[in-house]
Amino acid sequence: MVQDIITDIESETGNDCQKIDSILNEQVLQISGEDLRQVVEMLKQKHEFHHLSAITAQILENDSDYVELLYHFWKGFGFTLLLRLKKENPVIDSIIDHIPGSDFYEREVAEMYGVKFNFRDGIPPLLLPDDWVDGPPMLTEKKA
Amino acid sequence: MFIQLLFYGFVFPGLIFQILCAWVFEWLDRKLIARFQRRVGPRWFQPLADWIKLISKENILPKGSNELVLTILPILSFGAVLTAGMYVPVAGFNFFSFEGDLIVILFLLSIPTLAYYLAGIASIGIYSFLGGSRSILQFFSYEVPLLLALSGPAILAGSWSIQNIITSQLSKGPFIIFQPLGFILAVVGLIGKLKRDPLDIPKAKSEVVAGALTEYTGIRLAFWHLAMNVQAVLGIFLLINLYLSWSPMDIPLLSTLAFIIKFLGLVVMLSVISSVFSRLRIDQLADIGWRILVPLALLQLLVVIFMGF
Amino acid sequence: MEKITIPIGPQHPLLKEPLSLLIDIMGEKVTGGTLRLGYVHRGIEKLAQSRNYIQNVPLIERVCGICSQVHTTTYCYAVEKLLGIEIPARAQYIRALMCELERIHSHLLWLGILCKHIGLDTIFMHTWHDREMVLDIMEELSGGRVAHAANKIGGVRFDLDEDHGPMVISIINKLQGQIGKLRDMVMHEPTIKARTEGVAPLSQDDIRKFCVVGPVARASGVDVDFRRDDPLPPYDQLDFSVVTHTAGDAWARTIVRVEEIEVSMKLCAQILQDIPDGPIEVRASRRVPAGQVVVRAEAPRGEVVYYLRSDGSDSPARLKIRTPSLTALSILPKQLSEIQVADIPVVVAGVDLCIACADR
Repeated sequence: MVQDIITDIESETGNDCQKIDSILNEQVLQISGEDLRQVVEMLKQKHEFHHLSAITAQILENDSDYVELLYHFWKGFGFTLLLRLKKENPVIDSIIDHIPGSDFYEREVAEMYGVKFNFRDGIPPLLLPDDWVDGPPMLTEKKA
Repeated sequence: MFIQLLFYGFVFPGLIFQILCAWVFEWLDRKLIARFQRRVGPRWFQPLADWIKLISKENILPKGSNELVLTILPILSFGAVLTAGMYVPVAGFNFFSFEGDLIVILFLLSIPTLAYYLAGIASIGIYSFLGGSRSILQFFSYEVPLLLALSGPAILAGSWSIQNIITSQLSKGPFIIFQPLGFILAVVGLIGKLKRDPLDIPKAKSEVVAGALTEYTGIRLAFWHLAMNVQAVLGIFLLINLYLSWSPMDIPLLSTLAFIIKFLGLVVMLSVISSVFSRLRIDQLADIGWRILVPLALLQLLVVIFMGF
Repeated sequence: MEKITIPIGPQHPLLKEPLSLLIDIMGEKVTGGTLRLGYVHRGIEKLAQSRNYIQNVPLIERVCGICSQVHTTTYCYAVEKLLGIEIPARAQYIRALMCELERIHSHLLWLGILCKHIGLDTIFMHTWHDREMVLDIMEELSGGRVAHAANKIGGVRFDLDEDHGPMVISIINKLQGQIGKLRDMVMHEPTIKARTEGVAPLSQDDIRKFCVVGPVARASGVDVDFRRDDPLPPYDQLDFSVVTHTAGDAWARTIVRVEEIEVSMKLCAQILQDIPDGPIEVRASRRVPAGQVVVRAEAPRGEVVYYLRSDGSDSPARLKIRTPSLTALSILPKQLSEIQVADIPVVVAGVDLCIACADR
């Protein structure tokens, strides 16, 4: 199943798609940021991956030039797309046209990690108050 | 004569009697509903305690609202129901009846409804406005069946004076036997008028917080509550007088006792209905009011007229 | 008629927790609404990074008041998977028992709130009275009515005595009669049906587009239940049915939840019957080896997802929580655009919001 997906992604985008075994319980594929919209559309139409469970954003301590985004899907098994964005300019395409349910997850990632999303009409804040001036909270080094 | 008028006006059946009846009604209602819900319920002096607490609170009104209008409206409502109360016979005691007093009473009792609507508009918050407009919509749905149902006994007795209706029942028997449908419609109309569950749409707590009285505080709110409760008591008295007034013997003590028992019975019935049903939607109420209640009321009226009692 | 905006919240009799809903209405029709969260945002994901794994257990318990047990269960399973340990079977069964009891009392609470908002205070009082029976069981077992502190990394913190089992069974039997009556009432009482039937229906397509989970999804016919699809032990050995309904309106959601109470009660009886003897904990080391894990569980409101990354120290490097209330909130503006003003309580209460879960 996952092998078919890898073949399809590589043929659609022309880029390499790596299977990583980093997460227990999940099948993880790493793709590059520009391919996200194409891949999600293909997954939705060809393999029927409708259910997006969550979008996790994180910064790895030993590799802190990148913001890593994980898109967790579910279709009988857990399936995650991993991609890395440069920390100085984290821009990624929004998948809200394909999966409207990703709206809240993208808004949270945007306000907590400062990621910018294309193909969206504005990204209103979700959890932070309107007068928050300190910048993305998860990027600060301050201990809570 | 003047002393007698003062007595009637302030003690019985005037101010003090009606306020006491209102508080007794409120306590009974709250206690019964609480027991149906497996709670303990308030103690007997709770309505008095609530009133004292309310008049000791701060009086604030929304900025930009007309203070004169908002102060006059509860006073007007309270005055209207007190005046109406002077003419409603209680347990056979009646001092001021005249031909046509039923119509005057019904007119006076609709003043609080109109005042409620105006209060909703005049206190400029959004919830008050919604509560007020809903109360007028509800008024259009229940008032016609209520008035028709309360006219039935008058036509049956051949007079528009409540005293004559009572006298007519003493010889013919309580009118509920001849017009059971009218009684049911009158009860439904009364529930709508008093804005009780299932027809408490104007003051639905989850939708409009407290309806037209959301912005009221302090002594003005105390008088609104008093006016509403006196209106409830007078509504029940009217129902008893028009449909249920018959007593086995003409001894004042027994007829007073019979009156008290009928009062309690009606309060129990209203509390049961309040506990058992959920709130209707305003469109469902308008639908039921005009599609079911009004035709039934007209039917009942036609039956009464053409049976030629 | 002009358009007015009613503010529902942050403080409103309709809401248990602060949420800002601005609803546009025209007359008695609702034309749309916007949503604003964050009033109870406590920054739990960031807080979790500066506490060690053991200190995080009470923190995670306080993500939500009503689904506290399932949050700690998921977190503890995630940490135990990274540690590579497996907790004893008796501990698994006790965790499942507390989760099912929590599901029962959460659904009873929700039913009371729904009836209160449609004006039927009597059912509200009666349902919460029955809920007290379940809370008494939980207090007897764990010492707390709502926050149980039942889980620890490596097992559970208390054991069941010999007389706990029969006590729970007897209370559940008493509850069974009450729930049967409630079920009859919800299915047949005309005013409840009149207020909830046909209100804000959601099709299977809407559910899929917005990735909705839980009883809201099951009420529209989407057969998903993570106790069966991705079971944490011991659900893979337990036998239960998943309740679905096809109508997708507020009434279907009510039916689904009431029937889930009955399924949970049977599950509790099964758990108490099958529970094996043995220890209730294993020793877990404080330092968790590096790794990443995703664990899913079925909270009373749907699918809860935990992503945990550890870097070899004794505190998590990243903890991501996705609660089911967030998906219910994302579909709320769509539901609000097709109803009347009087249906707002039914819709808002019908999605069973737990804003504290959504805000974290």
